[in-house]
Amino acid sequence: MNTIEVRDLRRIYKTTVGVVRRKIKEVVAVDGITFDVNRGELFGLLGPNGAGKTTMIKMLTTLLIPTDGTANILGYDVVHQANAIRSRIGFIFGGERGLYWRLSGIDNLRYFASLYHVDPEVTMKRIPQLLELVGLSDRGDEKVEGYSRGMKQRLHIARTLLHDPEILFLDEPTMGLDPVGGREIRQVIRDLQSEKKTILLTTHYMFEADALCERVAVIDQGRIVALDTPEALKQGVSDLSVIEIEVFGVPEEVMNQIRNLPFVDTVSVEDLDQKQALHVHSAKGSEAIPPLLSALESVRVGKVTVREPTLEDAYVRLVGGKV
Amino acid sequence: MSKVIANIRLFFQGAVLSYIALFAWLRPSTYIATKVVGPLAQILFFTLMGKFGTSGESADFYIIGNAIQITALSGIYGVTFSLAGDRWNGTLPYLFGTPANRMTMFLGRAVIHIIDGMFGVLIGFTWGVTLLGLDLSNTDPWALILVIAVTTFSTSGLGLMLGSLSLITRNVMFINNTAYFLLLVLSGSNIAIDRLPSALQAISNVLPLTRGIASARAIIDGATFRDVRPAMLEEIGIGIIYIMFGYVLFRWIEVLAKRRGTLEAM
Amino acid sequence: MKPGMLKAYIHVIKLAFIFTLKQSMTDAFILFGIFVQPLLIAIMALFILGDQGDELVIFIVVGSGLTGLWDSVLFQSGNSITRERWTGTLEVLVAMPTPIAVIVFGKNLAFVTQALGSMIVAYTFASIIFGYPLSIESPMLFILSIVLTVLSFVCLGLVLATLFVLNPDVQRWQNGLEFPVFILAGFLFPIAILPMWTTPLSYILAPYWAAVALHLSSSGKPNILEMGLPWVMMVLLGVLYLFLAFWLFRKMLFKARVDATLSGQ
Repeated sequence: MNTIEVRDLRRIYKTTVGVVRRKIKEVVAVDGITFDVNRGELFGLLGPNGAGKTTMIKMLTTLLIPTDGTANILGYDVVHQANAIRSRIGFIFGGERGLYWRLSGIDNLRYFASLYHVDPEVTMKRIPQLLELVGLSDRGDEKVEGYSRGMKQRLHIARTLLHDPEILFLDEPTMGLDPVGGREIRQVIRDLQSEKKTILLTTHYMFEADALCERVAVIDQGRIVALDTPEALKQGVSDLSVIEIEVFGVPEEVMNQIRNLPFVDTVSVEDLDQKQALHVHSAKGSEAIPPLLSALESVRVGKVTVREPTLEDAYVRLVGGKV
Repeated sequence: MSKVIANIRLFFQGAVLSYIALFAWLRPSTYIATKVVGPLAQILFFTLMGKFGTSGESADFYIIGNAIQITALSGIYGVTFSLAGDRWNGTLPYLFGTPANRMTMFLGRAVIHIIDGMFGVLIGFTWGVTLLGLDLSNTDPWALILVIAVTTFSTSGLGLMLGSLSLITRNVMFINNTAYFLLLVLSGSNIAIDRLPSALQAISNVLPLTRGIASARAIIDGATFRDVRPAMLEEIGIGIIYIMFGYVLFRWIEVLAKRRGTLEAM
Repeated sequence: MKPGMLKAYIHVIKLAFIFTLKQSMTDAFILFGIFVQPLLIAIMALFILGDQGDELVIFIVVGSGLTGLWDSVLFQSGNSITRERWTGTLEVLVAMPTPIAVIVFGKNLAFVTQALGSMIVAYTFASIIFGYPLSIESPMLFILSIVLTVLSFVCLGLVLATLFVLNPDVQRWQNGLEFPVFILAGFLFPIAILPMWTTPLSYILAPYWAAVALHLSSSGKPNILEMGLPWVMMVLLGVLYLFLAFWLFRKMLFKARVDATLSGQ
């Protein structure tokens, strides 16, 4: 038995549009997803915003009923055996909502512990340990409204560990944090990993998935487009090099011209302050530079570099240039 | 000349904005609940209590008092929400960043609520006549409508002042509710002013509504508008004074905001 | 239910109770509903009902206190689930092993209990400021009536909370439900002065029976038999509300998981 088993999971949202003539619009958020997560594994769901990651997590945490397909957590069905699952899992949905801001951090933890039926004595012992783990030991008595965003997100992690769950679902745990806040959260996740928790993590940061996950499923438009270890995913693009070209304003027709060059695999554009960076994936390596530059004749060009592909490049290739 | 036109436009834009805000929240069922059934229940509650009590006031006393008091629903809640909305939406700093005339900006917010308030009072009187036997046969209808209009104006003046206050406090609802219920106690809608302790009577005399309710009772009793004209002029004066207070507060908040640079944080 | 469960649920109710009090102590909106409004209603009632002796004053104190209790049920208990949705905590609570009904019960118990403060404020105000000698005629019966009142109001609050979350159109009527119950429950005047057809409406409202029990025991010396009817009715209606609430809770949770409406604004 796998810890998490997902088979052909689908979820369709129905929304009504229009005020006068009401029409029902269907949006397929998750479109037939299948995967397994092993015990003690840190598994990543990677995808752009709107790919269906959060919908996946909500179905697995029993908050949303799938339209089709099945999902089992520790052998329990997410629809019919929701209660058996709830006491064995922990979850956070990124962001700072979901706490009681008028209460202190410790009061929040005491309250949630009681909702998980944690023995009060155990709770009183565990809270200081958890605050220590997430680095909030000296701020636990303060009201949550005074916490920074990162502190609130770390308190969420402490909250989800109160009942010592076997499985953790972390939906974009570093969302909206500055680099330091993000690094602190990732350190906590690594600590949890060493405690052999099974963790399902969603993120749209490639480096985060690369740094933390043992296996990654790349999701796009509700489907899995690749599922492997980060290394293997990078292998998928190892035949390619990435040529980065700084440009100042590229017209769309020049972009199309580059896309159509025979040796070009994919092209993506990254917007920097006043310039853009073209990331061109090509098997030809530095040999591709002269023809690329001649295609860019009409454009002001800055620095040009060639580098090895990263997980991000694999991801860009998989989701077809959308980031 | 173009400045005048720009100000007129700004005035009506404010009105339209608060109109949209009002009707985005307002569906027919909500309107019926808050503006038709709610006021009816309030009129009934006090009229029935009066019927059971021994204070000697007639049922008409409570019907008229509470029907006119309905104007405070739009005058206070409507107007303050229209101003407080800018704080909730975080649009206040942007408003203060424009060169627009502040007075026009400020007053435009109240227009739609004055119309809405008058309409609410008329609904209240309709209930009074159809369900509770209020007799308007002696009443000059135009005089009554004029009294309602003036009272709604002055109450909205109080609303504008409270609306300015709502920009610097978190507890808009607390202020609104307290103001509304204090008016119920002090404006004469449910307690004849002369029965109040003299210290409270002094407060009643500087509140909007007090003269409006007394005048409405007189008109329904057969008086002409000429009889209540002095009271109505005072009522208008009171409205203007509250608007001035509110406006000064509004400007002061703007200055304060610029000095401290903390509008949303408050 | 496993034997340990009950203990765990009681612990949840206790903490939900304490933390709800902690959160609402600084909430001006709640303080208005509990203290300011009932007090102003009491003052108006003192003037309107006129000078009818001390017995009437205790009637007013109890009656205006009851308006505070009803406001608390209508606006606080009624919003107890909706507000969790605004703060984003609702979906966290739903995915807990504790049934959300238990949590909301604890919260509503806190709301109704703190609303008892309105009765104490009206009592203190009337006795100190107006100088009326006030006494509860049958203290034991009164206290028992208070306990039943609180419990039946909490059950009613559970129904409102789920109803409001399930149906936003009903929630729009929230403001419009305040005074009608003041009237139908006979808080400050007997329902005998209302038309006959409204009487059945009063009878299905626990607030009506609460008003009967509290008015009887505060201003007279009723025998147990007289108190029996309102007590039994409060218990019966409380149980009825409870069943209704559980049915609505199940409906709400299922609907939320199908329609994905747990995290909405």
